Amino acid sequence: MTDIICPLCGKPNPEELDECQYCQAPLKVAGFIASPEDQEDFSQIFPPSPDQAGEEDQDTQPEPPPPSEQSIPDWLKQTEASFLKPSELEPEELSSEQLSEQIDALINLPSTPAEPQKSAIDDEWLTSLLSEAGAIESIPEGEVLLERAVETGEETSTPAGEETTQEEEEPPAVPAERPAWLTNLEASSNIKLDGGMQPSEVPEPEEQEASVEETDVPGASEHVEIPDWISKVSFEEVPPEPKEPEPPIEPAEIPGWLEALRPSEEATPTAPVEDVSAADVVTAGPLVGLRGVISAHPSAIQARKPPTYSIKLRVTEEQRARVQMMEELLAEEQKPKPPTSKRIITSQNIFRLAIALVLILPIVWMIIAKSQQSPLPQPGNYPGVIDFFQQVQQLPAGAPVLVAFDYEPGFSGEMNSAVSTLLSQLMAKNTYLTLVTTAPSGVALAESLVKDAGTGLAGSLSSYPYYTDLGYLPGGTMGLLGLASSPKTVLPYSLEGIDVWASAPLNTVSSVTDFGAVIVITDDPDTARAWIEQVGPVLRAEDGPILMVTSSQAEPLIRPYYEASPSQVQGMVAGLAGGQAYSRAVGRQPQNGVWDAFSMGVTVSILIILIGGIISMVFMLQASARKRED
Amino acid sequence: MKRILPITNAVIAVVSGLIVLFGYFFPGLLSGIQSVLISWAIIIAAFALLVGVFNLVMVHWKKTGTEGSNSIYSIVLLISLFITIIVAGLSGPTGSWTLWIFNNFQVPIEVSLLAVLAIVLLYAGARLLSRKPKWYTILFLITVLLVLVGSAPLFLAGESAPLSALRIWLSQVPAIAGARGLLLGVALGTVATGIRILIGIDRPYGG
Repeated sequence: MTDIICPLCGKPNPEELDECQYCQAPLKVAGFIASPEDQEDFSQIFPPSPDQAGEEDQDTQPEPPPPSEQSIPDWLKQTEASFLKPSELEPEELSSEQLSEQIDALINLPSTPAEPQKSAIDDEWLTSLLSEAGAIESIPEGEVLLERAVETGEETSTPAGEETTQEEEEPPAVPAERPAWLTNLEASSNIKLDGGMQPSEVPEPEEQEASVEETDVPGASEHVEIPDWISKVSFEEVPPEPKEPEPPIEPAEIPGWLEALRPSEEATPTAPVEDVSAADVVTAGPLVGLRGVISAHPSAIQARKPPTYSIKLRVTEEQRARVQMMEELLAEEQKPKPPTSKRIITSQNIFRLAIALVLILPIVWMIIAKSQQSPLPQPGNYPGVIDFFQQVQQLPAGAPVLVAFDYEPGFSGEMNSAVSTLLSQLMAKNTYLTLVTTAPSGVALAESLVKDAGTGLAGSLSSYPYYTDLGYLPGGTMGLLGLASSPKTVLPYSLEGIDVWASAPLNTVSSVTDFGAVIVITDDPDTARAWIEQVGPVLRAEDGPILMVTSSQAEPLIRPYYEASPSQVQGMVAGLAGGQAYSRAVGRQPQNGVWDAFSMGVTVSILIILIGGIISMVFMLQASARKRED
Repeated sequence: MKRILPITNAVIAVVSGLIVLFGYFFPGLLSGIQSVLISWAIIIAAFALLVGVFNLVMVHWKKTGTEGSNSIYSIVLLISLFITIIVAGLSGPTGSWTLWIFNNFQVPIEVSLLAVLAIVLLYAGARLLSRKPKWYTILFLITVLLVLVGSAPLFLAGESAPLSALRIWLSQVPAIAGARGLLLGVALGTVATGIRILIGIDRPYGG
């Protein structure tokens, strides 16, 4: 079951209908689908094989119109007639100029062998219609030409190409009769065609062919009967010139880029046509009547009215209250807060001031009064003090001693007591003090202490002359290592810019082992450890000792080195108590009240901590009791 | 270049460290190179101190224009620094003017800071029990009291023999034990850090 699409309105029609049921246009003549009857007619028009066609040509005589004309519908005949009418009526209405042009066209007629091709060209409109119907596919081109020959009454049994070559050599065999209109025209014209034109004026065949190709006169391409007088004049007088054999055409060289553009012979075959006979027919929309296409009917994309939802938020009263509270909180956050005034007098500040006064006033009083109420500590109760004293005491007179001042000025109150006693003992033995420091402020500290110690020594008014200050030693542990291995290289000059290594007594010193002793004064346990670990391994047992004067905070870390076996520190004095014990061992009794002030400070501190702790405990218990009651 | 430079740094550091290390084991063979490398390190450290001073000046110079009312501290620091440099340059590092500045400014300021620290610590010790004391809070407070009692004779009470013995025991047994453990930990950490640097795992110099 196949529908026929109307060529005019495009609507489908059942195949049994001959006319469109919508616009009454003929359906089957349009050639969309040929009916079996038409196919039979076409088979009668175009014989199946050339042999059969040849037999028919031999039997053909001038008879009634051929069957092909019978099969042509009336409307097609009318259309053909409309094309032929102007050419038939034209001679009656032509002017003199048009007539002369037409005569020229007749004179320049192409040779007869081209006539079958022209006939074939004239029938192209019919051939195209038949090809659309599918009936022309099985008919070769030669058969079409043969049929055309049958219509014109000519006997043609050879192929078109061969006939063309024969008739180029021979004049046309059948003389054409002069039509009546041409006779009348000749009578009315002053040009005498019969013998009026010289043979020399007749154009050559090649020029004729060129003129025929260039001229596009209506009706010139049609078959026209040429009078015999024209053919005789043209071909009898001018023999054809022998043609020179043309050289064979050499194949052109195609460049690479053009060869690359050539489409490949293995072209993708056309995809097979999909069988849409079982597909649904579109019944609505602009594609109505088509099969196998997607319907463009807007029902599939028809817009719907969106469902409506309520925008009212469902919240409970509790949630609403929380939201309100949150809004209030946020509103308060945005309000600028007034700056809180810092009160100077608070309970904490009063407590701090009370502690400071309680601690400071007794200490100041003890120093001013130079109190000696508390007994000085015994050297034997502080480990390392006696060893320290003995090591210094064993130094030979005039021996170079390396003294390192590596503590901060803030620890002066704790350290200066032991340092002053040490410098006094060293100066008493006339040792050569070589001062060095790894702290930037140690230079001034050492210079100040040495001058103070030298001024007070034995009531002399001048400073101690046997010392040199090598200044600051940078590099930390690396500097200490360099000093231990080669002090000349690391610190070649004193602060005054003097090469002290070239004069006595340092001219005998090449390494740190040549010093009589290495005394380190430091408050930092790390600094003390660096001296012990970097310089200590260089010193042997028979060389000079390492002695330490440290603060109380560094004592716990230095004492393991002192108590080791063999000891890496041969003597140590720690803190204010150690300094006082060392002073007592040396025989100096400082009368400055520092020890009593220290004793007073410790006692007050213990009392403050105890009293403060008890009060804090009471307040805490009261607060906890209130919480329990609440 | 970004790949070559870190590798070059690592090679230099590892080779230098190995030379200095083996200088302890072969002093006659490598002591010369060891001394040269150490001298270079000392010079670089001294130059780093100068760079630090220059950086301090630049930081506080920028603060003088941006900190508002707090810029007065930066101004005071810069003025003090330049005055000290001028005075020390003119009279020398151990000159009388330099020592005068040292004894009358630097020493009292640093001592005062430590004195304030003593008062603050005492205040904190007095309020230590005011906020829900734990058992280790009470233990800490008792230890402080014992050390204070044993460090000096109580005024007008003299030196108590039992308290002195307790103080000596505290400073020699628990404190020394803790200090030895701390030193052992430091030593092990130093060895591990040295090995990591020598084999190039840790690169504190970058890369």
